[in-house]
Amino acid sequence: MRSLQLPKSPKVIVGLVLLGIFVVLTIIGPWIAPYNPNAVNFIPNLTPSWQHWLGTTLLGQDVLSQLLVGCRETMVVGFIAGIAATIISVVVGLAAGYIGGRTDEGLSLLSNVFLAIPGLPLLIVINSYLPSGEQANPLIIGLVISLTGWAWGARVLRAQTMSLRERDFVEAARIIGESRWRIMFSEIGPNLLPILAASLLFTILYSVGVFTTLAFLGLTSLSTWNWGTMLYWAQTNNAALANEWWWVAPPGIAIALVGTSLALINFGIDEFINPRLRAGGMTARQRRKVGVARRPRLGFTPVRRDAGLVASRRATEGGAR
Amino acid sequence: MRVFLRRIGIYAFTAWVTVTVNFILPRLMPGNPIEQLIGKLQGRVTPQEIEAIKLQYGQGLNQPIVVQYYHYLDQLVHGNLGVSISAGGPVSGILSSHVWYTIGLIGVSAMVSFLIGTALGVIFGWTRGSRADSLIPVATFLQSTPYYFLGLVFVMIFASRLHWFPLMGAYAPGLTPGFHWDFISSALRYGQLPLLSIVLSSLAGWLLGMRNMMVTIIGEDFVLMAVAKGLPRRRVIWHAARNAVLPSIANLALTIGLLVSGSLLVEQAFNYPGVGILLLNAVGNLDYPLLQGIFLLITFTVLSANFLADTLYYVLDPRTRTAKAH
Amino acid sequence: MTTHDHVLDVKNFSVNYGFGPSSVRAVTDVSFTLGTSRVLGVAGESGSGKSTLVYGLTRLLRAPGVITGGDVTFYVPEGDAARPFDVLAASEQDLRTIRWSHISIVLQSALSALNPLRRIGREFDEVLRTHEKAMSKSQRAQRSVELLELVGLDADRLDRFPHELSGGQRQRVMIAMALALTPELVIMDEPTTALDVVTQREIVSELYELRKKLGFAMIFITHDLSLLVELADEIMVMYAGHIVERAPAVELYRSPRHPYTLGLMNSFPPLHGERHEMTGIPGSPPDLKALPTGCPFHPRCPNAMDICRQQVPPLSSIDESSRLVACWLHEPSVGATVPVELSKKSGSSAGVGQ
Repeated sequence: MRSLQLPKSPKVIVGLVLLGIFVVLTIIGPWIAPYNPNAVNFIPNLTPSWQHWLGTTLLGQDVLSQLLVGCRETMVVGFIAGIAATIISVVVGLAAGYIGGRTDEGLSLLSNVFLAIPGLPLLIVINSYLPSGEQANPLIIGLVISLTGWAWGARVLRAQTMSLRERDFVEAARIIGESRWRIMFSEIGPNLLPILAASLLFTILYSVGVFTTLAFLGLTSLSTWNWGTMLYWAQTNNAALANEWWWVAPPGIAIALVGTSLALINFGIDEFINPRLRAGGMTARQRRKVGVARRPRLGFTPVRRDAGLVASRRATEGGAR
Repeated sequence: MRVFLRRIGIYAFTAWVTVTVNFILPRLMPGNPIEQLIGKLQGRVTPQEIEAIKLQYGQGLNQPIVVQYYHYLDQLVHGNLGVSISAGGPVSGILSSHVWYTIGLIGVSAMVSFLIGTALGVIFGWTRGSRADSLIPVATFLQSTPYYFLGLVFVMIFASRLHWFPLMGAYAPGLTPGFHWDFISSALRYGQLPLLSIVLSSLAGWLLGMRNMMVTIIGEDFVLMAVAKGLPRRRVIWHAARNAVLPSIANLALTIGLLVSGSLLVEQAFNYPGVGILLLNAVGNLDYPLLQGIFLLITFTVLSANFLADTLYYVLDPRTRTAKAH
Repeated sequence: MTTHDHVLDVKNFSVNYGFGPSSVRAVTDVSFTLGTSRVLGVAGESGSGKSTLVYGLTRLLRAPGVITGGDVTFYVPEGDAARPFDVLAASEQDLRTIRWSHISIVLQSALSALNPLRRIGREFDEVLRTHEKAMSKSQRAQRSVELLELVGLDADRLDRFPHELSGGQRQRVMIAMALALTPELVIMDEPTTALDVVTQREIVSELYELRKKLGFAMIFITHDLSLLVELADEIMVMYAGHIVERAPAVELYRSPRHPYTLGLMNSFPPLHGERHEMTGIPGSPPDLKALPTGCPFHPRCPNAMDICRQQVPPLSSIDESSRLVACWLHEPSVGATVPVELSKKSGSSAGVGQ
């Protein structure tokens, strides 16, 4: 197993910090919310002020409290659904990729079907058939989300498993006589971790997106708070038309920021998997500092006769040990 | 060729699964949604319509399920999608009057965002290390923004501040739809903001994917060879881009599905009378026939788009044509 | 030699990776001359700088490579004489005029060296179309067939995609493509490393015949010295970005002078001939960011002396011949006793080169 390197890329660090903030808010959000998000006793439609940092809604509720409280449901459902979907995709992908044959054909067909049927309309339809008591249950919604979101990860993991299957160390394990399941989970598994991590993050991103979308459509419980529900209320009260930006913007931006943090971390994982994506040369700012005009072009290696001086001086003086 | 036929088979199978799922779901759900629906509708619709619904869903009839299934498929093949409860009228008729707006919106936005996103991705990938790289976090942010949120933001900006674009609907009130220029130009005008919302959000996805692939491909030997051969820079970029675009096309399945779903919501934000609004109204009214009809329509459209994308990939990448499995 | 007989003149060529204080010296002060139709072999382990050197010479080195010093002059034939072309001062446009028409390269036969989406015929057509504007389409097709015949491939290969060819066939295609415009210099970067031993020998002997027939000069990079013995006129051994030995091929093989050269030779058993014990070279190539003091090879050298740890040996000629070695063992001022295996007599000097 390769050793874990701490991410150096600023993109990844920003992503991790951002995600960390939201994770913290998930835990302490409801505690630090200044008011009860359901309370309607405030003056409606206030723009941001000291008492209400994000203003109030048309119904007289505090936007900031809604945002903080809503963080928990959004993140929890999104994460759990994403993790559940990823577990399914690991089992399916590993089995299909490693066992091959009929198993692979059957599982691949299954994933192709799930992949091709568009998730959101299917979710809407399934949701509408549920008895009205169950309809808004976030757990059920989370379950259904994970049932529609696993196919992508399964396909990616299957492809990776298939290429790993041919590698020497797997062959060695097979010869020794390790059981199939053991090979799958303790030999191939660890090498799948980077791709798995990327797939997990992507699936979580997808789940958060779908969940908030369903909430925006009013299909989730309207008695608990999440960011999508905030947008639902904003939309049904025509907040956008009335330009009540303090109501419309925060939940949407929050969703976008969570997504962005996941995507940034994924960048880091991409760079880990694919060394070519790592910052090989220098950034524009670094180049300006050193005094190089243009970025190097392929097939036109730059000639800088002064750039060698520092390094050569070091060599003749006897190395840097 | 075998690979190609297999793909067709998979799509046909998926279509069949969709149709069957549509059939099974209402009969499967706990709490018998049809009875609930009928209960809700008492007094609001005529008894004949209730009979029609019962027929459609096999309630109160002692037909074995296989027979019901056969009837269902039979109806489907004849284009009969049932009768809408909320709108009162054949589902197929309702759909056909709304579908063109959505197809126009989705079709144009998909093409525009793919072309622009991919082109920008090529540029970003090739000029990696230049100042343009600082735009990448912006693109990431845009990609994570839900389509409908962008729609709302645009409504806000253009509602109160600038009155450049019309905000709601698909065409100016008072015009009758038809193939005359008044209507068409109005439709185009009204379509701009929804289009912009969809394009801005989905473009970022294409951009980032393409950029990463370009960077990977540029590291390959054949690109260095192209430069070593003394080819003009444009040709080198073209060769690299042609290789780099393949995964984007392979992923079209997922992306088209997301695009379609997102567009439906944008329609909501703009009150754009396409299939999206229909879907949401149907959900609100528990108008199952309409709901099912829309679901089938959306799914078949996405499947067709995927099929086209697969065909395109098959044509573009010669490596798929040898019998080797992937 | 008059200037006319040279194809490439390299003086004090140096390459870094990166800019500024964190940069690393990858090639230091390399000088050599390549004569028309001569073959220069460049040998060394991975990380020795051989690829960096050769790509740098043609300015095809990828970022973050930077050329930090030296002169590279290529001689473009013009009628009876030759026009010097300053590679390091050239613009991109100028470089394009000599690329492929005068200097071409052959990479390892990995699948990614050829565009996987294009048929072989299209690649040939494009190269010909770019440089020979006067040729018509059918003339180009004709020429492509001729080129394939040169390397012993059937014309039907032109319709194939790279993944439909075997490794050996792909390599031959690359060689044919490199010769398409009858260049004066062909650079081969480990062209046989990815092939099996038998195909390796076939390709090397085909290259030998092609060179005799068409008269191009070659720079052949490899880590397998045994391949170079028959093919090269002169061999340059590199270590940590420095030339450590340079000699006519046969002499180098029969009487290596540098301990590293000896180690390299002992790492590859010849296909024929008597068996002897394999020794290899202990240790691993140095980290360019933290080079040892003095001679970069001393930590792995069985003959290391005190002076080796302190000062970098100069590249100097020995035996009053064209041979060069950078080793304190052979510096008369040090007065060291040269071990037997590094002081064999080379045999007759006639027959050097082919």
